[in-house]
Amino acid sequence: MTADIYPKNAHRISAMRSHIRRIFFRGSTKPPILSLAFLAVIIVTAIGSQAISPYDPNALNLANNFQPPFWDEAGSFHHPLGTDNLGRDILSRIMAGTRVTVVVTFYAIIFSGGIGALLGMVAGYFGGWTDTIIMRLVDIQLSIPALALALVLAAVLGSGLSTVIIVIVVTYWSWYARIIRGEILSIKGRDYIALAKVAGCGPVIIFWRHLLPNILNILLVLASLQIGQVIIFEASLSFLGLGIQMPDVSWGLMLSDARGYMGNAWWAITMPGIAIMLTCLSANIMGDWLRDIFDPKRNQL
Amino acid sequence: MRIANKLKIAGTALAVLLPFSTSALAQEPAIGELTIAFAIEATTMDPTKYAAGADMYFIGQMFEQLMAPGPDLKTRNWLAESWKIGKEDGHSVLDIHIRRGVKFHNGDPLTSADFEFSYNRLKNPEISSWSHLQKSVDRFEIIDDHNFKLHFSKPDASYIAGFLQLWAVPKKYFNKVGEDGFAQNPVGTGPWKFVSRKIKDELKLEAFDGYWNKEHRPGVKNLTIKIIPDDVTRVAAFRTGEVDWIDAVPPAMIADVKALPGVETASTGSGNNLFITFPEHLPKSPFADERVRKAVAHAVDVDAIVKSVLFGQGKRYAEIGEGAVGYDPELKPYKYDPEKARKLLAEAGYPNGLDTPCYNLTTPREPNMKEMGEAMFAYMSAVGIRCRVQGLEYSAWLQLGKRGNDSKLDGPTSWMWGHGVPGDPGIPWGGHLHTYVPGEGWGSYSYASNPEIDAMIEESKSIMDPEKRAAKLREIARIKHEHAYGGVTTYQPLITFAWNKKKVSYKPWPGSYGRSLQELGLKK
Amino acid sequence: MLEFVLRRILHSAVSIVGVSIVIFTISRMSGDPLLLLLPMDAPSEVIAAKRIQLGLDRPYVIQYFTFAKNALLGDFGFSYRWNVPALQLVLERLPATIELACAAMVFSLSVAIPFGVFSAVHRGSWFDRFGKVFAMLGQAMPNFWIGLIAIMVFAVGLKWLPAFGRGTLAHLVLPAIALGWYPVAAMTRIIRSGMLDVLDAEYIRMGRAVGAPEWILIWKYAFRNAAIPLVTVLGVYFAASLGGAFVVETVFAWPGLGRTVVEAVFSRDFPVVQAGVLVIAFLFVVTNMIVDISYGLIDPRIRHDR
Repeated sequence: MTADIYPKNAHRISAMRSHIRRIFFRGSTKPPILSLAFLAVIIVTAIGSQAISPYDPNALNLANNFQPPFWDEAGSFHHPLGTDNLGRDILSRIMAGTRVTVVVTFYAIIFSGGIGALLGMVAGYFGGWTDTIIMRLVDIQLSIPALALALVLAAVLGSGLSTVIIVIVVTYWSWYARIIRGEILSIKGRDYIALAKVAGCGPVIIFWRHLLPNILNILLVLASLQIGQVIIFEASLSFLGLGIQMPDVSWGLMLSDARGYMGNAWWAITMPGIAIMLTCLSANIMGDWLRDIFDPKRNQL
Repeated sequence: MRIANKLKIAGTALAVLLPFSTSALAQEPAIGELTIAFAIEATTMDPTKYAAGADMYFIGQMFEQLMAPGPDLKTRNWLAESWKIGKEDGHSVLDIHIRRGVKFHNGDPLTSADFEFSYNRLKNPEISSWSHLQKSVDRFEIIDDHNFKLHFSKPDASYIAGFLQLWAVPKKYFNKVGEDGFAQNPVGTGPWKFVSRKIKDELKLEAFDGYWNKEHRPGVKNLTIKIIPDDVTRVAAFRTGEVDWIDAVPPAMIADVKALPGVETASTGSGNNLFITFPEHLPKSPFADERVRKAVAHAVDVDAIVKSVLFGQGKRYAEIGEGAVGYDPELKPYKYDPEKARKLLAEAGYPNGLDTPCYNLTTPREPNMKEMGEAMFAYMSAVGIRCRVQGLEYSAWLQLGKRGNDSKLDGPTSWMWGHGVPGDPGIPWGGHLHTYVPGEGWGSYSYASNPEIDAMIEESKSIMDPEKRAAKLREIARIKHEHAYGGVTTYQPLITFAWNKKKVSYKPWPGSYGRSLQELGLKK
Repeated sequence: MLEFVLRRILHSAVSIVGVSIVIFTISRMSGDPLLLLLPMDAPSEVIAAKRIQLGLDRPYVIQYFTFAKNALLGDFGFSYRWNVPALQLVLERLPATIELACAAMVFSLSVAIPFGVFSAVHRGSWFDRFGKVFAMLGQAMPNFWIGLIAIMVFAVGLKWLPAFGRGTLAHLVLPAIALGWYPVAAMTRIIRSGMLDVLDAEYIRMGRAVGAPEWILIWKYAFRNAAIPLVTVLGVYFAASLGGAFVVETVFAWPGLGRTVVEAVFSRDFPVVQAGVLVIAFLFVVTNMIVDISYGLIDPRIRHDR
């Protein structure tokens, strides 16, 4: 927070402070404690999964496959959520999957949000040909069915963790760009931007000091709403066989692996699905809450 | 995958004629209707254009060859009444007599001209993917309507092993309707007549009333073959009674399906042979050392994998499967012995093990292949051959394995090659055991290189006498096994069919990769 | 006005051309289809003959222009794998996908409308909260997972509904739910906030004051107005669900476009990938264009903004 000492940043900081105040003290939208707590657990698990995981998530034990979860009569606490077709511990795999989910989500959001927001700002601020080119690219991107593009791209790059991130960034940057551009268009005409221009501020300074602080709240809402979409996108890609690959573990990969054994082990397909569901639900509830705080009028994000 | 339609002949070069009793028992006409499901479908219905095994699933119902395997897995004369190998001017000649009274679905009689037509299409690389199999045939000579001769420029054992290669294609009809017309409305001599097809959806067939084989023929008139690629969905459709016969019951569901009331199942070899292949050609690779390859062979508990990962749907084999040409009961698969594996590794100079990339095929071309590969590589890692597994979908896997200047295969790879039903290793070995020779067709996916074996493979191809050829193949198998050349063989997948026995009467025939519906009917 | 319409049409055309370049280029980078089309031991002359036959031996740019020229005339080439015109293969499957997308839309609306209206009327009640969570669940589960669990429970377990395929209305139920649950949350939100705005409006309060029955006020007057924002986005949701059908179709063996394109990607059947993607993109672009133009007709401010 070195920025604090510079008075010229004051309006930005006070804007941030008022955001924070609004987040926690606005009466009508209470923070969704449960969702936030669950997301915290997810992040802690992701960081500590290697240390707290009961088994090596990839350790095979063929003689011990299809063990049911503990509440089943045949189950035991050795494998609380049971084992899969190769005798791997499902709880350990879900924990390992948490890590991949968090990593993929984090990078995917940082890059798609960063690239998308930057291009959206550039398009909105400069207008003209720059705008036309960027927005045509956005249109093209949005017109291609996302999963088709993702599949072909994954086939080009070869499946794996980095491919999944790249594919998601390629798919989602346009979403940010379109919305941020609209936002910039609406604030571009405001007096303080015009004043800054008159005062001789270059575009970089205007972007950094005046535009970015004003779109941060939107970005935060977009990013939180994207979490669930990224997780589901990764799951779909892995399910179709072009996503995460062994030795990495992801929830989508677990679903894909378990699909053929639904009759043998309902838990193998249910548990990772529930992990996805709870995580996405928590993230979406959080996103909804943020949207209510920052932007109660906007409904179509 | 190389489809190999191979044949096993016991005895002389003269094909053993296993005549069908021409009993006067008039078969009742086919009646009623039935809906069944396949997991995959053919891409073409023109037998001169087939490229992959699945193409046979449709072609094999409607078209026939000169020879065919029966339910006992022995090959018998089919459209050929008899044939023999002779010599003219020092060159081999096949003298073939066609069965009389065979009709195409449109009523035209089958004649030598139809086979000549088929031969001309099959040898044309712009039409056929298998033109190389006709390469050694110099000339097709029509003697009369029911007799013709094939003149060979050099002896070719694969011709006989491949059911004499030719398909009965109606020349007159084809020329009338043209290439596209034939593709849309195929006409053959087979037990089933084409009715309609919706790609990716269904094929409708009708039992052919004028079928020549009165004894082994369909008992149901109208048949719909649904295409349901998804395993769970296919089995669900069978359970709910939407279809009454399915192929490829997924291994994990076999116990469940067998336990259903009124369900009968049958299993057969898929014709595919699985193995682990190595970069034997790279001098710096640890796998150039046969001790390391053998360490792999002893490190993997194939029996446990078959039991737990494949639910028993696999059969171990050593180089050549049981029932295939050249099968040697004395040749036993490597025993699971992790201690021995570690010792071999140490002897080869890797007392602390080694790290290597490993490639796994993730597209389930055979049931549970992905899981099987994961298990295999985990076993290898356990003895110190530490795998960095990389999963590849089918196209990427082919690209990796294909020999050329940019071959990238640099570690143990889960591989497979079809030997056919009944099996014959001749052509597969030409592809993955013979040294890679650019432009010659040898070793298109081979990482092995051994001049002695190369010579033996080439020799075996020219031995038209089945007995002598089988002996040569056995000899190759022993050397291959002893030095673990061209990959370490693991298992042959089994496919299981299930049907509703209250409604369906079905006798499995091995043709069309087990999908032959030669004897499918309704329970009385 | 005319200028706006023309500009909008030009933008759409640019999008379509862009899509065709993107998909043509990356599909060609994804691997060599010949290895998949030919037997493993095919000798080089067979491979060479096939390459020429498919036109894959020519320079990339020439290939693209040939493709673009023919595509304009409705010829997308022959499927490498099935040897039938690629466009025919795609168009034959389009009705099934549209049928599924329509059914999904019907499901979404029939859940979202009552939920949205009741949530607004009884704002803050348990129903409001429950409805919101239920709607959000659709966005929290992968549609293929919903499909698989539904097959296990309703088709295999309870035997209420068929597990696969297309034909009767019953066949539509499970895939429509799997596909249609996703947009429920967004739709509910739109209706709910629309209703909240309208319910406070003068004319509704007036109606209440004169004693009009509440249900008439809600459904006849309030809902009508609240539904307008929903109607404007329906087209976009519909077009998006065409793309969303990719995995659902695979799970339910639905003979639609999505499954065909997925398989074509795996078998490197470029003409089918191109035709499939372009047809979906075309529908998407045209829907959006119509929505935008009609917006522009209604609200002149938009013409300059876009």
